[in-house]
Amino acid sequence: MVKILILVVLAEICTVIGQILFKKTTNTLEQRSLRGVHTHIQFLKDILIQPSIWFGFFSMAIGLVIWLIALAQADLSIVFPIGSLQYILVLFLAHILLGEKIDRMKFIGTFLVVFGIILITIS
Amino acid sequence: MKNNNLTLKIFALIVLNDIGDTIAQLLMKKGLVQTGISSVTFGNIIEFASRNILSGLLWLGILFYALNFFIWIIILYKIDLSIASPVGSTSYIFVPIVAMIFLHEHVSMLRWIGIIVIILGIHFVSQSKKPIEKAI
Repeated sequence: MVKILILVVLAEICTVIGQILFKKTTNTLEQRSLRGVHTHIQFLKDILIQPSIWFGFFSMAIGLVIWLIALAQADLSIVFPIGSLQYILVLFLAHILLGEKIDRMKFIGTFLVVFGIILITIS
Repeated sequence: MKNNNLTLKIFALIVLNDIGDTIAQLLMKKGLVQTGISSVTFGNIIEFASRNILSGLLWLGILFYALNFFIWIIILYKIDLSIASPVGSTSYIFVPIVAMIFLHEHVSMLRWIGIIVIILGIHFVSQSKKPIEKAI
């Protein structure tokens, strides 16, 4: 059980760091409107040439492998409730590393989402 | 235009992303179960990996993840990560409801309460005040 807990939390940390790197990458792009196939392809190209997106992939890949190892030996009803802590991790790390604001609504909402997921997944 | 607001279009993209994620998870779980290894240790981790590398279902799951990545990047380009992330929990709402309608699965009272709590949470997050314009 402790082993599963450590695995899931480790997977969460890797995944969230990957997300932060993704968001950091999109934050570096200049503003543009996404209309039509061509602008979307150009957008994808501009994203994929950034090193930070690949560090993000790398971090997520490690997270995914750890997540798969946890999934293979534990029930979804154990892995998913612990996994919901990811949302709280995102809230605080996005604030610290990306400067995203935490206001009361976002704070309450995030904790409600986590609470709801725990209710659904433990049953 | 970049206004950091959770519009209906972005919400629809997030739901689409969740559907893709759910399909990917199911495919991978199915693929992993097929390998027949129930406990992963340092001793059999190589065998575990080499069996999975040949699993078609696992690769299909990974393909879904790749397509999903593109949708997710567009979402992230438009709104804050700390908004996109909790709103992305819609799969926890739709999966039980779809399972109930199409698979005639019983959804317990506790699950219904959980679903309502998540909807409330998403509502709260979507009401969060947006920064006027981020310094880029």
